[in-house]
Amino acid sequence: MKFLKNRAVLITIVLFFVSLQLYSLNFREKSSQNFISRIVLTVTYYPQKLIYTVSNKVTNVWRDYMDLVNVRQENIMLKEDIKKLRVEKFELAEAGIQNQRFKKLLDFKEIPSYPIVSANVIGGSPSLLRSEVVIVDRGSRDGISQGMPVASSEGIVGKVLTVGNKSSEILLITDPVSAIDAFVHRTRVRGIVKGAGGGCTMEYIEQNSDISVGDKIISSGKEGFFPKGVIVGTVTNIETKGSFLSAEVSPFVDLESLEEVVIILKSNNIVLNE
Amino acid sequence: MNKYLSIIFLVLLSVIFITIQTTLLSPHNLGSYYPDLNLILIVFLAIFSEIRGGFFLALGNGYMMDVLSGNLPGTFAISRLSAYLLVRSGSNHVYLRKALVQGLVIFLATIFTWIFILTIIKIKKGDSADITAQSILIQGIVNALVGVPIFWMIHRINARFQK
Repeated sequence: MKFLKNRAVLITIVLFFVSLQLYSLNFREKSSQNFISRIVLTVTYYPQKLIYTVSNKVTNVWRDYMDLVNVRQENIMLKEDIKKLRVEKFELAEAGIQNQRFKKLLDFKEIPSYPIVSANVIGGSPSLLRSEVVIVDRGSRDGISQGMPVASSEGIVGKVLTVGNKSSEILLITDPVSAIDAFVHRTRVRGIVKGAGGGCTMEYIEQNSDISVGDKIISSGKEGFFPKGVIVGTVTNIETKGSFLSAEVSPFVDLESLEEVVIILKSNNIVLNE
Repeated sequence: MNKYLSIIFLVLLSVIFITIQTTLLSPHNLGSYYPDLNLILIVFLAIFSEIRGGFFLALGNGYMMDVLSGNLPGTFAISRLSAYLLVRSGSNHVYLRKALVQGLVIFLATIFTWIFILTIIKIKKGDSADITAQSILIQGIVNALVGVPIFWMIHRINARFQK
C-alpha cells in the first residue's frame, strides 16, 4: 500500500468516505438549516441584491427605450382594449353577485385565502448539480419559513428550501426531488407531478384514464401543501410506463426567466381545502 | 500585516465570485456554459496561495456552494477540498507556472470534482444525476479558458499583499 504513504491521496480517500456518509442522509430528511447556512445566505444577500438592482435598472432603461418606439400604435390598441374590458368588467360584476347568491343557496364553504408575500428573484443556483433552485429577496424577517409554497401570477413555482434573514432559496417544481399531487382539469384524473430537470412528468396515472395532449394540470391540494386549483402546466406527451401512464408536463410558468414570485404564508402542517 | 490583507482579499474574492456565479453567471440561466468561478478560485488557492488558511478557504468556498445550491452540506465542500489537496500536493512543480499547464489543471480539477460527486450519488442513490459527460467536458473547457486569465489577474493583485 505504497500509495497510501502519499498524504494527499490518503486524505482524499478519507474525505471521499466522509462525503459518502454525509450523502447517506436522505435529502428529504434535511434537518432545519444550521446557523452557518443562514450566515452564508445573509452575507451573499447584499452583493446579490446590489447586482440585481443594477442589472434591473439597466434592463428597465433598455425596455423603456424599446417601449417608446412603438408607444403610439400600442396606445391606440390599449384604448380599444379598455373599451372591451369595461364591458367585461360589468358582466363579471353581475356574474359575481349571481355566484354569491348561488353559494348561499348551496351553503358552500368559502375557500380560505392565505396571506402572501411578493419577492424578487435575485439569483440562481451556482451549481449544475441542482440548477433548479432560485434565490429570492425575502427571508425569515418577512415571515418566510421552510416548506412554504411559492407561485407566480401564472401558476405553481415551487417551495421554500432554505431561509436566511433577508433571502431564501426556492426549490422549483422542475427539480427531481419535487413532487405535487395534481389532477387533470378537464377530467379530474389524478397523478403525481414530479420534476424532471427542465420540465415535469405526471406519474401514477391509471391506465385507460381520460387524458390527452393539451390538457391543463392543476394542484389537487390533497397533500396539504399547495392550495387546490393552482395551475401546474400543460400535457405535452403521454406514454405507458409499466402498469401506469406517464405524461410529460410543460410548466405554465417560464421558470428560466422568473423575475417575481409570491410566497404563500402557510405553515407546512395545515391541510388546505380539505 | 500583509498576510492578513491577503486573507481578507481572498475571503472578499470568494464572496464576490460566488455572488457572480449565483447572479450573472448562474447555470440556472446559462446551462453547462457557465464558468465555475468558485472552483477556479480553489485551484488558484492550491497552486499559488502561500497563506496557511488556504485549506479552510477551500472548505468555506465549497460550503457556500452547498448552501446556495440547496445541496447537502458536504457535497461540494468535501469534493472541492479533495481537489484542493490533490492540486496542492503537486503545486511545487515548475511546469505549474505555465498558463497551458494551469489550464490543464483547472480542466482536470473540474473533471475530478464531478466524478467525485457523481460517484457518490451513484453509490448511494443507485441513479445518476441528470449531468452528461458532455456537459462536464464543456464545463471543464469553459473553466480552463476563463480560469487562466483570472489566475493572472488574482495572482498580480494577491502578490502585492504577499510581498
